[in-house]
Amino acid sequence: MAEEQKWSRWAWRRLRMAEETDAKEPCELVGKQLGEPGRFAYAALCGISLACLFPEKEQSSFRMEFIEGLVKWLELSDAVLPAMTAFTSGLGGEGAETFAQILLKDPVLSNNPVIITQDLVSFSLKDGYYDARARVLICHVTWLLRIPLEELEVLEESLLESLKEQKEEASETAEASRRKKERKRKLRRYLMIGLATIGGGTVIGLTGGLAAPLVAAGAATIIGSAGAAALGSTAGIAILASLFGAAGAGLTGYKMKKRVGAIEEFEFLSLTEGKQLHITIAITGWLCTGKYGSFTAPWSSMLQSSEQYCLAWESKYLMELGNALDSLLNGFVNMMAQEALKFTVLSGIVTALTWPTSLLTVANVIDNPWGVCLNRSAEVGKHLAQILLSRQQGKRPVTLIGFSLGARVIYFCLKEMAQEKDCEGIIEDVVLLGAPVEGEAKYWKAFTKVVSGRIINGYCRGDWLLSFVYRTSSAQLKVAGLQPVILDDRRMVNMDLSSVVNGHLDYMKQMDTILKAVGIKTKECRLEEKGNPSPFSSQGERRQPTADGESQEEESTLGDDDSISHDHWSWQPVPSEGLHSSDRNSDLAHPEDSEFPGSLDASRDENPAGLEKPLPTNPLPCPDSAAHVLGGTFLPCPDTNDLKNQAAHQGLD
Amino acid sequence: MDEDILTTLKILIIGESGVGKSSLLLRFTDDTFDPELAATIGVDFKVKTISVDGNKAKLAIWDTAGQERFRTLTPSYYRGAQGVILVYDVTRRDTFVKLDNWLNELETYCTRNDIVKMLVGNKIDKENRAVDRNEGLKFARKHSMLFIEASAKTCDGVQCAFEELVEKIIQTPGLWESESQNRGVKLSNQEEGYGGRACGGYCSML
Repeated sequence: MAEEQKWSRWAWRRLRMAEETDAKEPCELVGKQLGEPGRFAYAALCGISLACLFPEKEQSSFRMEFIEGLVKWLELSDAVLPAMTAFTSGLGGEGAETFAQILLKDPVLSNNPVIITQDLVSFSLKDGYYDARARVLICHVTWLLRIPLEELEVLEESLLESLKEQKEEASETAEASRRKKERKRKLRRYLMIGLATIGGGTVIGLTGGLAAPLVAAGAATIIGSAGAAALGSTAGIAILASLFGAAGAGLTGYKMKKRVGAIEEFEFLSLTEGKQLHITIAITGWLCTGKYGSFTAPWSSMLQSSEQYCLAWESKYLMELGNALDSLLNGFVNMMAQEALKFTVLSGIVTALTWPTSLLTVANVIDNPWGVCLNRSAEVGKHLAQILLSRQQGKRPVTLIGFSLGARVIYFCLKEMAQEKDCEGIIEDVVLLGAPVEGEAKYWKAFTKVVSGRIINGYCRGDWLLSFVYRTSSAQLKVAGLQPVILDDRRMVNMDLSSVVNGHLDYMKQMDTILKAVGIKTKECRLEEKGNPSPFSSQGERRQPTADGESQEEESTLGDDDSISHDHWSWQPVPSEGLHSSDRNSDLAHPEDSEFPGSLDASRDENPAGLEKPLPTNPLPCPDSAAHVLGGTFLPCPDTNDLKNQAAHQGLD
Repeated sequence: MDEDILTTLKILIIGESGVGKSSLLLRFTDDTFDPELAATIGVDFKVKTISVDGNKAKLAIWDTAGQERFRTLTPSYYRGAQGVILVYDVTRRDTFVKLDNWLNELETYCTRNDIVKMLVGNKIDKENRAVDRNEGLKFARKHSMLFIEASAKTCDGVQCAFEELVEKIIQTPGLWESESQNRGVKLSNQEEGYGGRACGGYCSML
């Protein structure tokens, strides 16, 4: 209890500190606060991070635009552009750690490195477009500066909080400007114009819905209080309207105007009340009668962002499928047989012939609804892609998460998006759980263009049901939901969920545990985050020494051999017993990657050159919103040790 | 064109403020001279491909800022450098005296100990010389560096300085072949593969 208070006091102090900084320099951007070397290091750090996160050729224009914009934003001379260009094209990456240290030592940041994150968020939002890649970059830089990623979320939330708080005040301002123009204009139009004036005179399409004017009204206040000074400079309204979708109502307002293709039902349900600068869309794989009769049921504990949606699609068919699955498992195939099946599948000698005849005789129960849903999910995925591409959700990062056929929807959504222009920077992370899709890496390659953060494939080797329904399509021997997707990319993360998922139905029933296992935040995690005092208080203390020198930090990070892949989350000092679970993703996906976090820490102090190579390949130093949870939120997961064993076992395979 | 490039080398230029580091680089890469060249911010970067003894090498040259306020940034660039050009101004004794500090820094931050060092005494076109050529030579010998006097203004010795440095680096195979970055590795891999096959053939004959 005392600890809790300690934490809340600490958090409060930090908030105050940020506010005070704002108060002292109301409209002062970091660009003016930091000295030239500091700004140079800041830009260089971003450049190097860009090169390491988005080394692909097709991303080069994004990289260059971003860095050129940043150089201007920081009021650095154009003379630094050649060097920045070199950094963003992957040269000089070995200096990243040094730049981070230099930046942390800057007196302006000494107690409050989060200023950099804040500045980056402001910079990224200035055009009214929160690119998913920018968010991934911000996460990465935040991580490099040893700032807990929660800070970023707090920051993003504070942007929106200030919107809500200042709503009244803002409407007063609107009122004032309304009065000014009263004589000239008709009453109906006042509000609109008043709002536009706040934003700097840009009259934009605010007529669309309810949310946009509300958001716009707060634009002026964001500028001062949340430290996003630059947002207000020109067209705050335009920025915010654009971020949240000019239509205001956003995704829930989306109605399928006519039947698209073979789709009968397609609608977004709101899972949470809040608004956030990034959103999560969950997609359910099937429905059953009873507890899991609704699309939202499996996601009740998820809290990845405070604005979450759930896609409702083809309930008729999904219900049919769910009931078929249910009757198959609870009626036709007894428990013993199921266990036997599980091990048969695990042994990996499955061919069409080894299926027990008892199962084959009832196959028609499942095959038909399954086949229908397979087709429908592909169509729905394509439709979802079009919606996301047309930015119905606003210009902000989207995280997609789905299980079973829902994962298939995501798969086809990504596939469709990859074929379109301007598909980059929309999707932040995707999580596919038990996906009934092609698991061959070459089909997943294209997704790296679409997804900025991570592509998480959660699979279960013993999922005999998935194996069974796929028995006839011999062409697709590799199913993503049954095995890792061997794609060599920092984004690809495979997670063996075999210890959590005993059968395909568990994807729905065990969603809470699975979410924690793959690093998606849940309500419990959020509570834990706030309630668990030790990480935060010690991290507050630790930040100070980090700024001064790294010796102490090294002590804390290298002290625990067991959790070496955790070491780089040093600012999130979770007690070691809870750490193992997150080893899993690195252990599984790319063995060489799993070495990296350790080597990073080692290289930080002992072997600086070692940093050079691993940085660009490793998925971990891009702690996007999903990744950063790994450190802190695994604690509640009961199966952590099992998972680790599984992971180790996996590695042997 | 790129096919013939043997290796990419990371070269670093360091030295006190105003000794003409950027001018030397500008003369080398663009063959121009600007007497009013502004002070470098942070670091400048240029790429140039040169041919030494029939070997083409791509030079990635990092030209650091000499100003004190950017000194904190310098350690970032040392990592992985194969060659370093240490510049002083022959008309300013203090820039020569401070060379020791630069060597210390080099020692501290450099990740390899066989890095090739080149000492360049710049601005020999000027008349008010304060550091004798022999002094420079002696200092260079003492610290086993290459030495040349040059003038970015008159173009004297600039090309030579870079060429000699690269030549020396290429003559030190361990220095650039160990880098996993480029053709050097691929070449040696091929050779190994070839050697392995030859050995296999020999064994089977027995």
